Amino acid sequence: MTLSKLSFRGAKRQAGDYLIYFVTVVMVCAMLYAFNSLVFSEEIHNLSDMMDNMTLTIVLASIVVVFIIGWLVSYTTGFMLSRRSRELGTYLLIGLENKQVARLFFLENLLVGGVALLFGVPLGNLVYQALRAILLTMFSAPYHFRYDFSLKAIGLTYVYFAAIYFFALFRSRKRIRRMKIYDLIYFERQNEAELFKKSKTRKTLFAVSIAFGIAGTILLMTAQFLLGVIGAGCIIVFVYGFFTSFSSGVPAYFDQKPERKYRGQSLIVFRTLTAKLATMGVVMATVALLFTATLLTEGSGMVFNGIFQGRLEKDAFDLLFVSDQESHRDQCRKNMEQQLPLTSSWQYKLYQGNDDSLIPYLEETAGYYQYRYSHDYNGPLLMACSDYAALRDMLGLPPAEPSPDCYIIHCLPYLEDALGQWKQPLSLDEKTLIPGKIYTEQFAQNLWNGNGHQFLLVVPDELCAGQPVLRFAVAAMTEYDITTKQYEMLSGMLYEQAADGTYTRKDEWDYLYAKASLLRDTAAWSAMAVFPLFYLALTLAMTAATVLTVQQLSEEGRYRRQFELLRKLGMDSGEIRRALFWQLGIYYLMPVIPPVLVAIPFILNMCNGVEPGTMVGASSPSVILAVSLGLFFLVYLIYTVIAYINMKRNVLPE
Amino acid sequence: MLQVRNIEKYYGNQNNLTKALDRVSFDVADGEFIAIMGASGSGKTTLLNCISTIDTVSAGDILLDGESITELSSGELAKFRREKLGFVFQDFNLLDTLTLEENIGLALTLNHSDPKKVQKQLQSIAAQLGIGDVLGKFPYQVSGGQKQRAACARAMVAGQSLLLADEPTGALDSGASKNLLEIMTHMNQKMGATILMVTHDAYSASYAGRVLFLKDGRLFNELLRGQRGRSVFYHEILDVLALLGGDISDVI
Repeated sequence: MTLSKLSFRGAKRQAGDYLIYFVTVVMVCAMLYAFNSLVFSEEIHNLSDMMDNMTLTIVLASIVVVFIIGWLVSYTTGFMLSRRSRELGTYLLIGLENKQVARLFFLENLLVGGVALLFGVPLGNLVYQALRAILLTMFSAPYHFRYDFSLKAIGLTYVYFAAIYFFALFRSRKRIRRMKIYDLIYFERQNEAELFKKSKTRKTLFAVSIAFGIAGTILLMTAQFLLGVIGAGCIIVFVYGFFTSFSSGVPAYFDQKPERKYRGQSLIVFRTLTAKLATMGVVMATVALLFTATLLTEGSGMVFNGIFQGRLEKDAFDLLFVSDQESHRDQCRKNMEQQLPLTSSWQYKLYQGNDDSLIPYLEETAGYYQYRYSHDYNGPLLMACSDYAALRDMLGLPPAEPSPDCYIIHCLPYLEDALGQWKQPLSLDEKTLIPGKIYTEQFAQNLWNGNGHQFLLVVPDELCAGQPVLRFAVAAMTEYDITTKQYEMLSGMLYEQAADGTYTRKDEWDYLYAKASLLRDTAAWSAMAVFPLFYLALTLAMTAATVLTVQQLSEEGRYRRQFELLRKLGMDSGEIRRALFWQLGIYYLMPVIPPVLVAIPFILNMCNGVEPGTMVGASSPSVILAVSLGLFFLVYLIYTVIAYINMKRNVLPE
Repeated sequence: MLQVRNIEKYYGNQNNLTKALDRVSFDVADGEFIAIMGASGSGKTTLLNCISTIDTVSAGDILLDGESITELSSGELAKFRREKLGFVFQDFNLLDTLTLEENIGLALTLNHSDPKKVQKQLQSIAAQLGIGDVLGKFPYQVSGGQKQRAACARAMVAGQSLLLADEPTGALDSGASKNLLEIMTHMNQKMGATILMVTHDAYSASYAGRVLFLKDGRLFNELLRGQRGRSVFYHEILDVLALLGGDISDVI
């Protein structure tokens, strides 16, 4: 039998035995190809000028993915090497040379990688179609299914794969070349010596690692680069310390309380766990670290998405221009009318209110705060009833119900409760108004220079007249979404060109908002930041789950012997199934606990770091947390369930 | 205590039928120490597996304390095994991840014993079997003889009435074998354990009070030790084995 035939058989068996690993490699190949296709797609690049930056972020993310998967392949081949050391030793025993065995193993793995590529690329094309559909929808561009293969994308995927495999395989090749027959045949014994080594410094290490975990989480929450890096370092110390000290901590606990050990199934379950932790504490820690990275990446992606979405007011004006100069406003309105297909427009003023207690009240009760630039007004902004009615009409909102003795409040939904409690009257021109109805429809209020910063008081026209004018504005609706070019033409008036060719803003209080343009920017930002973050998160989660599952499934033999013995000793099948469930459950739960404990405060803090009123609805902190954890556990659950089903089928006695 | 009535066991299908046990019948009285001998393939382990309810019989009946075990459901069988039977295997069958103490305690846990009393119970039996000082060690840290004594302790700790041993000395050197057999004798005589031991080693069998010989699935002969010394009994066993016609290297 030739070496290549042996390699081929080995590869076939490997794909069967390590199916879950193979599937992960195929999935990663699919993702690499799909994102490469985005990079090389002209259609995607033409969506927005900003999409050129997407190439950079995706390539960067792909390089990180290559490193992660390189580690996975390296780890798994090393693991297979140890599991199959006896077989490889036998090859040496019957006279094959070390380098021939190394080549055998190398070819076998290369074959697995090649087949993964073969499956991965077509699958990747489907993933690409999905990503393309999402992107086109985000840009409100028409989507038609088009089956196209990008040779460049395939080429780049091959390059990435070559990097992954050659790195991993050269390492194992080196190992095999140095190995002696004795080492290979007795490889399993080498591992056993490390079992259950107890450390006297366990308690200290455990306590120190917890302290590092808390410190790391707090530092990560500061959102400052240097402190964040130190925080990440602390988290690494925490995770490794935790898993290496925890394994000896559990037996110590049971030694103190032996009666707990013999209760129910805790003996079997906890011993399996400690045995696992003792031999693979470092792997568990690495897995936990990858999970932490997954959750933080995913959470960041969700928060960015929330911020981008928060800028969008899908149901508000198509165009809005606000300035402190009446002439600027008039000029802009003229430009709009001349250059754009307006269906309606309305120009109005925003007045300075004189109440200085409302803002401090909101700051205290609703976490409200003002932008630095808005300090030119201390009281709330006022709008005349007639302007308000016209603008509501423009947006297609039902008419408000003004009353001569009341002022209307229009605010972002998160302020509604606090403003509902506000009972202070407003005195204008010797007339006193009491708080009236509150409206919370989208009204261009989450912009830093829109219709009031997050809230606005609407008062009778005649009472406004005596107040100082703070802003001159014009709002308009267009017949269709304005193009990038049209937006650039309009926004050109905001800038002036200096002698050195650079552009500067003419007036820092001039503010132009175009819904269509912002929609495109948001979509581009999402593509640039959110897509790569989720791409990374998915890879991280899949890698870590694969490592855990490969470890678990490779121990089927031991589990089978264990349950066979338990059956002989009289454990009934229901109890055996429960024991397996708990053994697997705790095994899969362990590496998730530290990441979840770190991620929850981190994500919540990140959500709260954003301006209030932004992270609401689908982007509210609780939803972001739930979705981040939910997505992660969904991916993780797939691996866990596969492992459980496999184990149940192969391990439980008939 | 145990009554085996005409049991038969077939393997394979209609075209290729192997008869592993052929109308085997015998009784085991309370407190007996019985050895079952025979060459490889004679059906010894099949017989033990049928008695231990790990395998089912094709025909016949097995009664333990008057209760037929061939008619029990799988749940009842599991209960029966954990309450009434103790096992000692050739390869010890201890769980690597558990200390000797925990391996012994496992039998009590499965029987839902009071967790507070577990330690006391297992320490007492471990002391009787001479492994009290190695209870905290893992199987890979102790000798084969100690492992096998731990297996014996597990087989008795929960008050099981019948101890089934399958080639218990198979993986031990001669010194450890002798030690284990003496311990089993002690368990039988001082602790009242009923023992059914499968072996193909005449020396091991000579420790028993009665030896049953199996050949090709049938009960071929039976030897009672009576008041004879062990070495006389040993030679008698060897004589029967010579009659059995098995390869002598198989049995020594």
